[in-house]
Amino acid sequence: MKKNLSNTSAALMAVSGVLLVVSIFLPWWGMKFYAPQYQEGLDIIVYPTTLDGDIDIVNGLNHYIGMAEFSNASFPELVFMPYIIGGFAVLVLIGAVLRNKKVLTGLIGLYVALGALGIWDMYRWLKTFGTDLDPKAPIELEPFVPPLIGENTIANFVTNSAFSYGAYLLAVVFLLLVIPLWKDRKL
Amino acid sequence: MNMQRILYGVVGVLTGLLVSIVFFADFNQANAGDAAANKSKAEKVYVPYGEQDEYYMFASGGHSGQLFVYGVPSMRKIRTVPVFTPDPATGYGFDDKTKEMLGGYSWGDFHHPAVSETGGDYDGEFLFANDVGNNRVAAVDLSTFHTSDIMSLPNMGGPHAGVFVTENTEYIAMPTRFARPLAGEYAELDKYEEDYKGVVSMTTFDRKSKKFDLAYQIVLPPWSYDLSDAGKKMSKDWIVMTTYNTEFATTNLEINASQNDRDYIVMINWKRLEDEVANGNYNDVNGAKMIDPRDVPGAIFAIPVAKSPHGVDVTPDGERFIASGKLAPLMTVFSFEKAFEAIKSKDFKGEEFDIPVLPYEKVVEREVDPEGALGPLHTQFDDKGHAYNTMFISSEIVKWKVDSGEVIDRKPTYYSPGHASAAEGDTIEPDGKYIVALNKIAKDNFLSVGPSHPESMDLFDISGDKMEHLITAPTDPEPHYAQIVHRDKIKPKKIYDKDESRENSVWSQDDARIERKGDEVHVYGIAMRSKFVFDAKAERPDAVTVKQGDTVYFHMTNIDLDQDITHGFGINDYDLNFEIQPGQTNTLTFKADKAGTFPIYCTNFCSALHQEMSGYLLVEPK
Repeated sequence: MKKNLSNTSAALMAVSGVLLVVSIFLPWWGMKFYAPQYQEGLDIIVYPTTLDGDIDIVNGLNHYIGMAEFSNASFPELVFMPYIIGGFAVLVLIGAVLRNKKVLTGLIGLYVALGALGIWDMYRWLKTFGTDLDPKAPIELEPFVPPLIGENTIANFVTNSAFSYGAYLLAVVFLLLVIPLWKDRKL
Repeated sequence: MNMQRILYGVVGVLTGLLVSIVFFADFNQANAGDAAANKSKAEKVYVPYGEQDEYYMFASGGHSGQLFVYGVPSMRKIRTVPVFTPDPATGYGFDDKTKEMLGGYSWGDFHHPAVSETGGDYDGEFLFANDVGNNRVAAVDLSTFHTSDIMSLPNMGGPHAGVFVTENTEYIAMPTRFARPLAGEYAELDKYEEDYKGVVSMTTFDRKSKKFDLAYQIVLPPWSYDLSDAGKKMSKDWIVMTTYNTEFATTNLEINASQNDRDYIVMINWKRLEDEVANGNYNDVNGAKMIDPRDVPGAIFAIPVAKSPHGVDVTPDGERFIASGKLAPLMTVFSFEKAFEAIKSKDFKGEEFDIPVLPYEKVVEREVDPEGALGPLHTQFDDKGHAYNTMFISSEIVKWKVDSGEVIDRKPTYYSPGHASAAEGDTIEPDGKYIVALNKIAKDNFLSVGPSHPESMDLFDISGDKMEHLITAPTDPEPHYAQIVHRDKIKPKKIYDKDESRENSVWSQDDARIERKGDEVHVYGIAMRSKFVFDAKAERPDAVTVKQGDTVYFHMTNIDLDQDITHGFGINDYDLNFEIQPGQTNTLTFKADKAGTFPIYCTNFCSALHQEMSGYLLVEPK
């Protein structure tokens, strides 16, 4: 196979592989809830492996509007996510050894596809939780879809959703994978 | 030409300087210190929303039996913490643990709080208190502000002269006020001198198990022990106590205990007594290890002091102790060093009740007698070598220099202060910022509430040379003494820890269950916003059916691990109510002796659907 990527490019790919592994241990996404009684905010923090933050309190409050309880058990993704990320990191490291543009292009394509799938999956969950409300709940709300990014108001709560450090690393990984293609375009 | 250039240069630089000064200099900075001093009284006590007071003030609630917590300088009351008396608002004395701790008592007389100390300074972990009414000592855990232990003490007769703690809280000491035959047995008042005793209880407190132990008791002559303090640093092994009624009056003490020109300060070396007790030199008296200090050479001495003294307070450096005269209107400064010298050279002026008496003039350093200042009761300290004395009769605080006796300032209080409490004012490191006079009389300082009056408290800023009166605040009866502790030293929990191994706790509503053992019904239930679950599998999880005559145990856990989400639990017509804090497990036990249908409901407003948080207790008739 033709080795048409420079040493620098191979190094960048190796770094991106390592960053991918690092991202497994960082939060990817979070939602912060503010209310008059919760000036300090309540957190839902999503790691690729687990949920963190004030999950019990948020669940306790959500039952008033009939939202299903969420926990690690309700998201099977949390079990296999680390393997997918780890596996992709291994592929990137292999790509760094092969130093082949076609392989790299393929990897970038796969990365974008996985990313799109991930975002679709998150949207799907947000929609499920926001619209599949228990009709017997004491407080009746119009079904809603909490935004993936940005502010939303539900009753006395204002929520702020945003990607977090792990997701920023994923963006860096994407750049580190694209730079070699551009840098070595004449090789 | 050259000159001109230089001149332009100089002018240019000066212009630049001028411009920079105009635009960037902060002329206010030079006055920043003055600005603080120039704050109005209102600004000094105003704590805007979003900010908090700098100090906690833990004030005794007197014969309410409770602890009052205030913020200083706002003087806002933050909380009543029940200690010696049941409190339906918090379920204190209703649930099994606090009911057992109270032991059936319905009141207490909380006098002198003492915050636990390490190295002579508040460590902020626990607060101890004496019950003069029923001879008890209590500890409040300052991580939860809940009373963690109460101990009844045998052989006591109203332990007014405590509590005080030794330098590292080795002991929480309580000397008795009324002489009484040991164990409170019957003995005629004619046999006062022979059969009546004064007793000091030396209790220890285990911070891990949060329990008291009575290490030993000291038996003393039947004088009245009024107030006391522990030594610090060079005097750390000693305790000093004031006495009155060395006349042994047994009736109309007002007159008959005020006859002698001199009473005594008693000095006791607790370290020596501790060693003797460890060696087995004590008698078992009603479950207490009783030691007579007169049997231990060097353990007890008496110093004559002006008539019926009240407070005695050790200076922050531990080198002196100051007695307040009450009936002889002067403060007497004694020197530990001089006392130690007199003891060493056996320079005694005879004995009283077999206690060696140190000559007054050999131990006294000075008498301080500000003109017209009457009824000195207690002394507090600042960080600059000043003492602050409350004057009950002339209703004022007198600030004076400990080293010279020079009077610096006098300010009226409204009216008749008992104790005062300065910010960290009885530690080795007083803060010197505030003092609060705890007054006994309020008259018409506040909106009238009829013949029943509140007490009053005066807050003074003592950071300057002269004291500045800032505000007067009302308080319920009755603050005897207080501890003002910097907020950084208190580290309260927001919720109870989720301890899944805790006895009787249930952490998931699915695990709630009812178990019958003979005629005992144990409910292992949960409280959460906004429901009770007693039996997860029942058709109605919030109903409990028992038979008349059953003993019912409600083991309830509040599984809302969220700040300030407290659930109450009241049972209609059964005269029962208790409370479960977030993460807490509490048990309520009672005999279901009344047949019928009794609503159960959450008594502490918890959530939007608090009103719906209810259930039923159904008691089937026999």
